[in-house]
Amino acid sequence: MTNKFDLTIISAESKVFEGKVENILVPGMVGDFLVLANHAPCISSIRPGFLEFSEGTSDKQKYFVSGGIIEVINNMVSVLVDSAVSGEKIVKEDITNLISEVDERLSAADTINKDDLGLRKNDLEEALKQA
Amino acid sequence: MPSLKDLKIRIDSVKSTRKITKAMQMVAAAKLRKAQESAERGRPYAEKMRDIVSNLASSVKDIAGDNKFLGDGSDCKKFLLIVATAERGLCGGFNSSIVKLAKSRIAELSSQNKEVKILTIGKKGREQLNREFESLFIGHVDLSNEKNITIDTARKISMDIISRFEDGEYEVAEIFYNKFASVISQIPSSYKLLPVSFNEKESDASNVSFNFEPDEDEILNEIIPKSIATSIFSVLQENAASEQGSRMAAMDNATRNAGEMIDKLTIDFNRSRQAAITNELIEIISGAEAL
Repeated sequence: MTNKFDLTIISAESKVFEGKVENILVPGMVGDFLVLANHAPCISSIRPGFLEFSEGTSDKQKYFVSGGIIEVINNMVSVLVDSAVSGEKIVKEDITNLISEVDERLSAADTINKDDLGLRKNDLEEALKQA
Repeated sequence: MPSLKDLKIRIDSVKSTRKITKAMQMVAAAKLRKAQESAERGRPYAEKMRDIVSNLASSVKDIAGDNKFLGDGSDCKKFLLIVATAERGLCGGFNSSIVKLAKSRIAELSSQNKEVKILTIGKKGREQLNREFESLFIGHVDLSNEKNITIDTARKISMDIISRFEDGEYEVAEIFYNKFASVISQIPSSYKLLPVSFNEKESDASNVSFNFEPDEDEILNEIIPKSIATSIFSVLQENAASEQGSRMAAMDNATRNAGEMIDKLTIDFNRSRQAAITNELIEIISGAEAL
């Protein structure tokens, strides 16, 4: 008997996914982590990367997210993302576009923002390798 | 008494006006549906975001260490009023009702000796406020090139607002817009964007202690700009839907008025034509009788 919990993935422009899942692998800001049922309540920010979860025993679903927030409370997991692309659809171009966007902003940004954007770029390049 | 020709010209011109207003009404109706749909799609995100922020704020409340974004804004002196209006006119009282609300707020704040600054989104609000409060303006966002409002637009605006906040240009930010109640009713409203205040009412999650990753302060610094962008996004979407709804109602009225006017003018036209005919007949008959 496996425990399932409710997962909702919402992007700013639409609802991406809603349903019961067994587990979800989240690219957290300080490291990847896996959420199972009865996880302690937590709020974490998400870096750009791949979100992986499985509804049943076998098939996994993969989404590329460009950063966001996850809230876990009483077996209700809500993921708020800036944008999400389904793993099947994801093309490397999308990520490459994002990287060039960050590059553009890097050249325009002042020094304080540069660190953040540089980190973001690293994350994106990492994701590109995985895609 | 205008001549027959004058009447004919007027009827034709009112008819073409009616055609235009009718077309505008139908365009507005189509756009309204789209705007409403996208507003509805964005709603779950905005709601969840509000939930998380209030959960966060209530858990952080107990912990010392003030975040710069949090506070109740009670004894602040510098206010920023963000006035979100439309880029186009011909939408009834849509723009002026927002401006009216903003003006009354400006008057209220100035009477309390507060410093007021204005940032406008949309051309029409700027035009109306520029006449009186030109010196208070610190910025303007032009949306005329944006066909549909995207979250990116909202993000850009919020980044600007936040950097001004961090520079100490203002302490409290309020945004003015039209809340979309229904197609025929839009309520001018204001909403406090910054600082984020603690949620007073107890939510069911307020007793839960969360694990934060990274720590509260960093999460707050990350999530608050996001939640502000989301708020601005939903405000802009509500505004867009309200604008179209308001325009639809205004154009519906205009079309109806034009119809009434055409009816009246047509009656006038027919009367004066009949009068002319009767006149001619009388002339012919009296001419014949005189023979």
